[in-house]
Amino acid sequence: MLSDSEKKRYSRQIRLFGEEGQEKLKRTSVFIAGAGGLGSVISLYMAAAGFGKIRICDCDSVELSNLNRQILHANADLGRAKAKSAYEGLTAINPEIEVVARIEIISQENIDQLLQGCDLIMDGMDNFPVRYLLNRAALKRKIPLFHGAISGYQGQATTIVPGRTACLACIFPRAPPASVFPALGSTCGVIGSIQVTEAVKYVTGAGQLLENRLLLWDGLSGCLDEMAYERNTACREC
Amino acid sequence: MLIVLPDGSRREIAGNEERIEDILKQLGLNPEEVIVAKNGKIVPEEEIAGGSDELKIVRFVHGG
Repeated sequence: MLSDSEKKRYSRQIRLFGEEGQEKLKRTSVFIAGAGGLGSVISLYMAAAGFGKIRICDCDSVELSNLNRQILHANADLGRAKAKSAYEGLTAINPEIEVVARIEIISQENIDQLLQGCDLIMDGMDNFPVRYLLNRAALKRKIPLFHGAISGYQGQATTIVPGRTACLACIFPRAPPASVFPALGSTCGVIGSIQVTEAVKYVTGAGQLLENRLLLWDGLSGCLDEMAYERNTACREC
Repeated sequence: MLIVLPDGSRREIAGNEERIEDILKQLGLNPEEVIVAKNGKIVPEEEIAGGSDELKIVRFVHGG
């Protein structure tokens, strides 16, 4: 049941998917991997939208070079753990949800424990080795993975639903070489917002998900494109 | 075979069917950095392409 305060807070969303849809968001536990550029946008919009339980995990501290895009953190947070400023920022925006912030490196050893009780996984990572861990965990737990990645003006997003779609390793069988990527906050805004929209649609049952479709954003040309994909029969993961 | 390169330019290539991995190498592209759609669908680099196929090559990103 929604309280009177929640009905008021979410009134514009209730117009979209009813109290029933809002209650579904309230009952949903999400795991957000990373509190960086994508994780900032994802977590802020998920908190504001009223996803009932948010567990966000990041092992880093806030650096000055993060602040052009990582809008969850402020100048006063420099040197603090991102997870701590994430906790404060998200509970300040919406004190009616439960936020748990973890300062940990996501690894094979702790991923099961980190994901315990979570209904969906939001990809805010900056590297493919951890994305493959999230993908494997999503397949094992049969929960969706909302993928996003950015570099400069470019970004991509797709929705992996185990049993219904190909997996992340089907699309990207090999990790690209590690490198320091250029990053624009507004590109994180575009891709992170798409990921949250997908999660809202998944939970409320609205619209068509980005299932077996990779959405590609090119900010320089202002073009959105998409590529279809299907299960790779030789995939090592699924 | 029509190839759309990551920068959006197009190139027509005549010749025998080949593995996509080999086509990428001939184009000077690192297969680890791109994904390839053959006739609109993403395919693994072991796939064969040629003739009237259309390949679209996109550089994918990994940051967050």
